[in-house]
Amino acid sequence: MISFIVTALGLCGLFLISVNTGSLKVTPGELFQGLFVKYNPNVATIYDLRFPRIFIAMLGGAAMAVSGVLLQAVMKNPLADPGIIGISSGASLAAVVITAFFPTMYFFTPLFAFAGGMLAFFLVYSLSYKGGLSPLRIILVGVAVDCSLTGIMGAFNAGIGPNDSSVTSIVNANITMKTWGDFKTLCIYSVIGLLLSFLVTNSCNLLQLEDKTARSLGLNVNASRIIVSAIAVLLASISTAIIGPISFLGLIVPHIARLLVGSNHKLLIPYSILLGAFTFLLADTVGRTIAYPHEINATVIMAVVGGPFFILLLRRSKHSYGNGRI
Amino acid sequence: MATDVFKIKGLSFAYGRHQVLKDLNLTIKEGVITTLIGANGSGKSTLFNLMTKNLKPQQGEISLYDQNISQCHIKEFAKQVAIVQQYNTAPPDLTVGNLVSYGRTPYHSMGFSSNPEEDEKKVQWALEITNTVSIKDKPVIELSGGQKQRVWIAMALAQGTKVLLLDEPTTYLDVRYQLDILRLIKRLNREFKITVIMVLHDINQSLYYSDEIVAMRDGKVIAHGLPEQIITTELVKQVYDVDLQIQKVDEKPFVIPV
Repeated sequence: MISFIVTALGLCGLFLISVNTGSLKVTPGELFQGLFVKYNPNVATIYDLRFPRIFIAMLGGAAMAVSGVLLQAVMKNPLADPGIIGISSGASLAAVVITAFFPTMYFFTPLFAFAGGMLAFFLVYSLSYKGGLSPLRIILVGVAVDCSLTGIMGAFNAGIGPNDSSVTSIVNANITMKTWGDFKTLCIYSVIGLLLSFLVTNSCNLLQLEDKTARSLGLNVNASRIIVSAIAVLLASISTAIIGPISFLGLIVPHIARLLVGSNHKLLIPYSILLGAFTFLLADTVGRTIAYPHEINATVIMAVVGGPFFILLLRRSKHSYGNGRI
Repeated sequence: MATDVFKIKGLSFAYGRHQVLKDLNLTIKEGVITTLIGANGSGKSTLFNLMTKNLKPQQGEISLYDQNISQCHIKEFAKQVAIVQQYNTAPPDLTVGNLVSYGRTPYHSMGFSSNPEEDEKKVQWALEITNTVSIKDKPVIELSGGQKQRVWIAMALAQGTKVLLLDEPTTYLDVRYQLDILRLIKRLNREFKITVIMVLHDINQSLYYSDEIVAMRDGKVIAHGLPEQIITTELVKQVYDVDLQIQKVDEKPFVIPV
């Protein structure tokens, strides 16, 4: 419980800092007055420019974190991350293809991103299945699929040239110029995904047992796997479609969350929402601060911090990870 | 006349081209302990997996109280049959109490219980009967082998079924805990009238603790009945392909396993 409160307070504090990061500064009092009481030009500018990106960062971070939790539950693998195993690149590739060839379908980009993410997921899942799912094989196959998809996307971009700004904006994974419209799209799909994730907490818990044992408790194991994966892919794809591919967030946040609140998904999923929002907003705020007036992309920050973290997890995985044999 | 719990008719199953079960017929009586014995590869594990809906019959059918189990929803099945699998894992921080309460899952919908009091009662009963109340708050993975097996049985008991299936419940345990578990199983049968069907490796434990023995070889049932009636040097030779002597101690047959 303490973890929940501390993280929630941290998120609020970070929100205020993030609102005030940049050339315009306002006090919390001015901010409140400007938003709800009377017009203040500074607050209005912040509302139009900074608020969307802050909310997008928080929601996208939450979505990626929960996506990681769900994938890890389905694959019984604490190293599964929607970025590493290619779901994000599948989603971005689909988004890029749609924006380039069918610009009129732009509104449906999230749905196509979802389809692309699903395709990448099933590729990884079926290619790494060999009488069972070895955690390391999933990662290896995932990295290979991720590279191929990223490669196809690179070739695609080079082929059509850098003119189509909407295409490159997706690939460049930038949350600087996001508007309330982007937030609305992200909000609709990710809130659906997050609500659905609350409905599968029990299945996630049972999936941590052996399949046969979960089945003996009346769980349709195969159907549950598909449903939980679909929710995970939806969350990863939608945040990829709006923010771009974020690596390692879906890995780091669930890992820290498990250390703090345990592996019961009834607590793990809500807490990962908070911590995911906090972490990605932190990455974005740090990125805006350290090289001011230039900005370092939040996804770059995540990659730089996440890489070493992932290696650390890999090295420790034999000792403290996965399920103990009983 | 005793009712039949399981009725298996003309059951066949193959892994690819490898035929494991051929036209197998078997009925299992209510209220007794039935043990499946057989050498490795005799098909007893496959039969167990078919009876627990982990595999689907390719031919023939298995019925539970006259209902074809293929048509029985897995959740409904879990309200009638509890299963203790041979190999189990648990997340590192899952406590005994929480694991045992998973046994109530079949009675929940969308994660919500319609009768929390009943859940509580059944979980408490399961913990008491398996003597695991005192370790309720410990993580499962920190327990000894014998304790762990008791906990998995407790989870199955919390399902509140009249039928309990166990796949080699004594494997991985030393002899003291093996007896511990087998005595518990016997008590569950005698005191609470739970029908027990299990797979065991140790032939003497099978003979001693079972009311009925089902001996399998090459995917067929070659003998089925009371231990003292069916066990002979010839049957042992047929099942395990070794010549062993049989002696009687207190009217019960024992195979000298050397």
